[in-house]
Amino acid sequence: MLPVLKASVHDVRYFVTLLRGVNFVNRATITVTERGFIAVVEEARTLLGTAYIFSDVFDEYEYNSESPGSTQDSADDEDNAAFEVPLNTLIECLNIFGTAGGTNYNASGGGRHNRWKKVGDNDDGDDGDDDDGGRGKIQQFFGGSSEKRTGMRMSYAGAGYPLTLLLAEDSTGPTTTCEISTYDAEPHLELPFDLEKMVLKVILKSEWLRDALSELDPSCEKLTFIGNPPPTGDPSQPRQKQKANSRVSLKPMLRIKATGTFGSTEMDYPNDRDVLETFDCAQSISFSYRFAHISRTLRALQSSTKTSLRIDDEGLLSLQFLMPSPSPKQGKKDEGPAAFIEFRCLALDDDQLNVKLYV
Amino acid sequence: MRFRTTIDNVPTFFRIIQSIEKLQKKCIIKFTETNMHLICNSDTNEGGIQVWSQIKVESIFSGYRIQSNASNEITVALFSEALLAALRSASSSTTGALSSFEAEEVVMKLAKKSDQAVLSFEITGMTRVGRRVKVTHDVKIEVMKPSDVERLNEPMCPEPDTHILLPPLQKLRTIVDRLRPMSNVLGVRANNNGCLQFSIHTESVKVDTEWKGCTNPKMARENASQQEDPPSDPDEMFSVLVSIRSFIKFLHSHVVSTTTIACICQNHCMILYVYIGDVADAGGVLTFYIPAMLDDDG
Repeated sequence: MLPVLKASVHDVRYFVTLLRGVNFVNRATITVTERGFIAVVEEARTLLGTAYIFSDVFDEYEYNSESPGSTQDSADDEDNAAFEVPLNTLIECLNIFGTAGGTNYNASGGGRHNRWKKVGDNDDGDDGDDDDGGRGKIQQFFGGSSEKRTGMRMSYAGAGYPLTLLLAEDSTGPTTTCEISTYDAEPHLELPFDLEKMVLKVILKSEWLRDALSELDPSCEKLTFIGNPPPTGDPSQPRQKQKANSRVSLKPMLRIKATGTFGSTEMDYPNDRDVLETFDCAQSISFSYRFAHISRTLRALQSSTKTSLRIDDEGLLSLQFLMPSPSPKQGKKDEGPAAFIEFRCLALDDDQLNVKLYV
Repeated sequence: MRFRTTIDNVPTFFRIIQSIEKLQKKCIIKFTETNMHLICNSDTNEGGIQVWSQIKVESIFSGYRIQSNASNEITVALFSEALLAALRSASSSTTGALSSFEAEEVVMKLAKKSDQAVLSFEITGMTRVGRRVKVTHDVKIEVMKPSDVERLNEPMCPEPDTHILLPPLQKLRTIVDRLRPMSNVLGVRANNNGCLQFSIHTESVKVDTEWKGCTNPKMARENASQQEDPPSDPDEMFSVLVSIRSFIKFLHSHVVSTTTIACICQNHCMILYVYIGDVADAGGVLTFYIPAMLDDDG
């Protein structure tokens, strides 16, 4: 019987970056389809993180349906295979040689790793027996990892079988075989986002949001997104002029407000197309979320380029982060959409009431 | 009881202490006329790891003078952290810009200061502006009674089933660091045909890392004559389960190691010989004993 999934890639870094983006709860549901690989995690029945990893992330990708013929034809309900894995374990395994790349948010682990690498550095110098020691040293000096990349071959034989990974750096080095137990996929939280009910839509460069969120103290409890319709005026009027007006008006177009025990912080975004590439908001809205949940998105936000922030009339927040491929493959670029990570988060209840009054 | 020596090779001494410092708070150092023995043998060590090492006097010291009633041997117990701090100060000229002076001579001697036996480190050096400085570190010690010293015994091990040269310890450490959060037990397997495997096996994951083409050194054994039984199959794997945390403690010795030979006594223990300096001139060897974990509780 053909395995349900067979995939390989010569450098796991991009794949690992995508998985790390949703690595805030250990158990992830992986859905494998013809088009790619979807990893879903949920927390507290409130936050849902989804990484869409399309087949072109891999060098080779093969999906064989477990149920031949039955659902193959129906295009709507895509044929898939789903299972659960311990996500953290999967990431640790992929990074077994320490060459899956780190993220800045992985501070504790990363720091330790670097420290001993420096010690090892001294060692190299003293032995003088390592031919490419010099090159390695300079790489380590600049905090980068070595030239070596971890290559991976992954397969999943079907329900009840483990997810098998074969990892190696090069043909002379060691090889690692991992068998990660898979579990039957449990139904997870569904938070459908209805475009019809959307009340706020913002598209901005990820760094604008990242800088704002990283300013906030981790002791914050609540994060509120406040949106107001852009100042009215002649739509044909150049934006610059509107900007001048908006400075006078008290209602900011987009405000992020963080509230904690020690006080609150407010940050306003200017009405500038360089900052807010898209801004749709028909009426004033304000929805609050638990800061701890929003901060779960930081790791994905960190490695993304563009962010789409949408809120519907019930306060359901959808944050989509576009995750750029580090090295766009020649000719393969237009084969599929770029991988992205989406978070959906329910608003805090008490605020929903407030909003009804506010609006 | 007299003891005085100049430490020529401070960096090596420093690294040796660094690699055993994590093991236990107090270590035992036995100075003999020809060797320095570092011993960490506490029963309370994580996973029962022990270190018995032997470093030739001439590889670290010069002007070495020792005299005692116990056949010119002196055995002391001291806090490895305190020793490390003294050595750090003495080696500062080689390790970085932290120091404000350059150590020229480091003398280690046995002394008694207000009724407390100490190992006194006298560091003389020159400041950047050319002034002479003298820094003295006193590390409190306990001189051990000869009767207690006699009771120190290296663990008994059967003839190992296989000897194998380990890959660079830094590389090994990267891998074992990843495995640590997943399991408490590390399986080590090797055969006499250059194959070495590190594996963990738990309910949720099974990870095996394999090296091929490692060297199986020929070990000269004193009782080689009794090797009558036919040579076993070189592909037969010998395995031992050890505490992953004690293995990581052994991996701290990567700062000093050049060559490391691992020996597996199947289901009994693992012995690791960490050579200091070149194997050829054999300046010294740190021997780590890691007992096997017998119940596989994952």
